[in-house]
Amino acid sequence: MNIPVLFRTYESRQTSLNCKIWEAARATSAEPTFFKPIKLGRNQNQPFIDGDLGRNNPSQLVLEEAKTLFGDRQLCCFVSIGTGQADVITLQSSSVLQRLIPADIVEALRAIATDCEATHQDMAGRFAELPDAYFRLNVEQGMQGIRLSEWEKLHTVEAHTMHYLRRNEMDERLTALVKTFGVSIGKIPIEQLGM
Amino acid sequence: MLGRLRMDVDDAINWYNCLAEEVFSDQKWRGEGKFKARKLETLLKSMVEDVTSDPESPLLEEDEARICRT
Repeated sequence: MNIPVLFRTYESRQTSLNCKIWEAARATSAEPTFFKPIKLGRNQNQPFIDGDLGRNNPSQLVLEEAKTLFGDRQLCCFVSIGTGQADVITLQSSSVLQRLIPADIVEALRAIATDCEATHQDMAGRFAELPDAYFRLNVEQGMQGIRLSEWEKLHTVEAHTMHYLRRNEMDERLTALVKTFGVSIGKIPIEQLGM
Repeated sequence: MLGRLRMDVDDAINWYNCLAEEVFSDQKWRGEGKFKARKLETLLKSMVEDVTSDPESPLLEEDEARICRT
């Protein structure tokens, strides 16, 4: 697994890339087959292949970074927003799609979905003793089969997202989230959320 | 978009829609990658220019005490 590179907008002991906004956006865009890789860095010699391969849910990375930056400060809440569950099982069951989508892509999608879910479970475990400190928002149904490049289906994405947000349990969760943001009380020192 | 460029949600969605439509409706038939990287770069620069008035604005922000770190 390649070591992930963080594109920071602030100074850090690890900051070294010194790139432009458009370069950061370009380097973190899309999947490997979409665009040719971009080279950044001092001598334009560091290739960036994929924005999210292997780090589709960067929660642990964010927590590590927060620890480095504000280790002794209190954490109020952690909000994780997903891009929708990639339901590969549904995708596979359609024989037409199965013939059109190569097996390795189906495999990659499955790995991404599993990876994201595993990370979410790990985070939920760390915050298990702290009510209303960890929030995960991720549209669970309907995003299957919508590929990143299908811009004409964006209204479908919007409809599924609205449907997800209107469910009763989500309504409660969002109310709790807004309340937590509003009072902003620290619950635990960041450094105590073990890796 | 929401972080460094500090757009509001509506602006971010509008820009995303614009980028996605322009870039993904124009498939490439030869060379590396399915879509034109140059086209994406041009659009990203015009988006950055629209917000910061300089297409080549650096990612790093100077006065970091008051900003949201992204």
